[in-house]
Amino acid sequence: MDLLRVEHVTKKYAQHTALDDVSLTIPKGSVYGLLGPNGAGKTTLIRIINRITAPDSGQVWLGDKPIAPQDVYRIGYLPEERGLYKKMKVGEQAIYFAQLKGLSRKEATVRLKEWFVRFQIREWWDKKVEELSKGMAQKVQFIVTILHQPELLIFDEPFSGFDPINANLLKEEILRLRDKGATVIFSTHNMASVEEICDHITLINKSRNILSGPLDEIRHKHGNNIFQVDYRGEESALREAVAGLASVMEGAETESVYNSLKIQIPCNDDVKTAIGRINERVEIRSFREIIPSMNDIFIKAVAGEL
Amino acid sequence: MGKIGIIIRREFNERVKKKSFIISTILVPVLFIGGIALLIFMQQYTMSEAKLIKVLDRSGMIAQRLEDNASVRFEATDQSYDQFKTDETDAFGYLEIGDDIMERPSVRLSSFKASTVELESSISDQISKIVEEEKLKRYDIENLPQIMEEVKTDVTVQAFQIKESADDKESSSSLAMIAAMFSGLLMFMFVTIYGGMVMQGVIEEKSSKVLEVMVSSVRPYELMMGKILGVALVAITQLLIWAVLVVVVGSVLMQTLMGDMVQAAQAMQSGMPADPMLAAQMSNLDSETAAIINQVTDPGYMTMLLGCFLVFFVGGYLLYAAMFAAIGSAVDNVQDTQQLQTPVTVVLMISYFIMFNVMRDPYSAMAVWGSIIPLTSPIIMMARIAYEPPVWQVVLSAVLLYASFVGMVWFAGKIYRVGIFMYGKKPSFKELFKWVRYKY
Repeated sequence: MDLLRVEHVTKKYAQHTALDDVSLTIPKGSVYGLLGPNGAGKTTLIRIINRITAPDSGQVWLGDKPIAPQDVYRIGYLPEERGLYKKMKVGEQAIYFAQLKGLSRKEATVRLKEWFVRFQIREWWDKKVEELSKGMAQKVQFIVTILHQPELLIFDEPFSGFDPINANLLKEEILRLRDKGATVIFSTHNMASVEEICDHITLINKSRNILSGPLDEIRHKHGNNIFQVDYRGEESALREAVAGLASVMEGAETESVYNSLKIQIPCNDDVKTAIGRINERVEIRSFREIIPSMNDIFIKAVAGEL
Repeated sequence: MGKIGIIIRREFNERVKKKSFIISTILVPVLFIGGIALLIFMQQYTMSEAKLIKVLDRSGMIAQRLEDNASVRFEATDQSYDQFKTDETDAFGYLEIGDDIMERPSVRLSSFKASTVELESSISDQISKIVEEEKLKRYDIENLPQIMEEVKTDVTVQAFQIKESADDKESSSSLAMIAAMFSGLLMFMFVTIYGGMVMQGVIEEKSSKVLEVMVSSVRPYELMMGKILGVALVAITQLLIWAVLVVVVGSVLMQTLMGDMVQAAQAMQSGMPADPMLAAQMSNLDSETAAIINQVTDPGYMTMLLGCFLVFFVGGYLLYAAMFAAIGSAVDNVQDTQQLQTPVTVVLMISYFIMFNVMRDPYSAMAVWGSIIPLTSPIIMMARIAYEPPVWQVVLSAVLLYASFVGMVWFAGKIYRVGIFMYGKKPSFKELFKWVRYKY
């Protein structure tokens, strides 16, 4: 089932087009990566979903209804440009934002106390935000974003400003929230984190959706049938074995304790035959497909090579 | 509690807890009282410095009759002008009266420093009076001093306003003027202090980057409204504290000084002094003051005046605060506000100048229009209110004022939302109006 559908959304500003006929579907319970180079239109799309700005044409559906003002209670948004009131005390401030998201003061206080214990930041409650470090403030901001238990969480570059330990904590929390039924939209440049936590992605470049779908599918689809063979035996024997079926990737780096070679088998049907032949000539220790990293796909897609 | 309520609560709490609020709440009355004390002190200090004028009186009948007062002292002399000039003296000036003063009423005042209007008119008045008396004497009228004393008259005007139903009521334009000037000044003060606070409050979200989190939770309209009303509550709180201080001190003073005067004024209006003691006091009380005191002690009139004051003062504050909110919406930091702020302050000042015109003629077209158009109405309607303008005009003016307040908040919200996408660019007025038409 889909939680959010974006249908043919176009948004123009005076000088440029931020989004050009963008459509995407976000399945319920997924962690959905929204990727793209700077200025591609990711933030505009996120703002449209948050109803901060309205599209010139097209529509956004949340569940089976067009998104409406009261839906802000169902969304938790952590913008890239984030901050807290500097002079306000941490606890008081968190309660304020929770109230604006529809929680009662009492309920907000109870939930916040739990989270502060969980994140081991109880002693910050009465501190002013300006006394906190940037990373500490980010933690508070994260709690504020998810406190009202929204169905849809939107994180815009959530890991910027976090140290690796806290980034990891955040990652775990995001996955935990997904397991509890939340749907997460996750905008980032950090492709390693995409591979780790996203199950679906959309790649936006120059205002258009150029690549969309489940992460595994995309990575497999964009694999070029390159395989790495780790073996014991003569290299020439192996080269002879695959001649005609596959081409050897000359000079390709491999990491292996064995002899190792990368080969490309253009036709899928030849894979089985190739393995059979190789097996006859050398001792195969491992044979696996090299699936391109999200980073490679991203760079290629943006460069228009896909 | 709606979202606006939640925002009001935060805006109020955060400001009232600030040290600067507590300090200014205490400091302003202290400075105020200190200022008055300083003024009185300065007045006494300057008064002790009476200017010494040396008088060469060739006619021989003026010099000895010139009276000294707090600011000027006369001293007859036979020094010539040239002697006076070279003589090292601490005298302020040298007054030369010709022996033909009766025929040619002109005297010559020379001074090292520029003379003042006050000094010149004092000399002119005194000498004119003396010359007039001398001229009268030439007619050889018997009992002249007695006659002069008898013809002396000072007419006071007691103004009444004609009412169809009730008794004619004594009205005082002085009270109206005082009320209008007071509310105008207070408005000016409030708008500059608390309007600026609203403006800074609106910029706060941008400078601390809370902006996007906020607009994903509330509408900019709600945010603006919450801020304006929150600051208004702060203003009211501060004003109440000041008022309590003033009333406590003031009532103690009034009780001791003015108690008798109030009774006297009431007796004067009813036309029959109840007791002879009061009658004696009455003659010391001029009728204008009496009229004011009567109005102040008339509960119906005061309720009307205070009611209108509240409606227009609050409305005026809200409208101007909303304009400041709009300015805050259009910029990213406080430094950029100056250019946009000036027109608002100028409009307020213009209203204040028109007010003086209105006091002279409260029924002129300028007065009527000025009291209905929202930007000027809060100040000008107050100037007219004591002259009891038609009720429909008052109601229309109030409705327009509050409607334009809501409209202005909406406008501010609109600019605010568009401004989110315009980081770091200072907008011109032309762009602002373009923003309003944007579909965001």
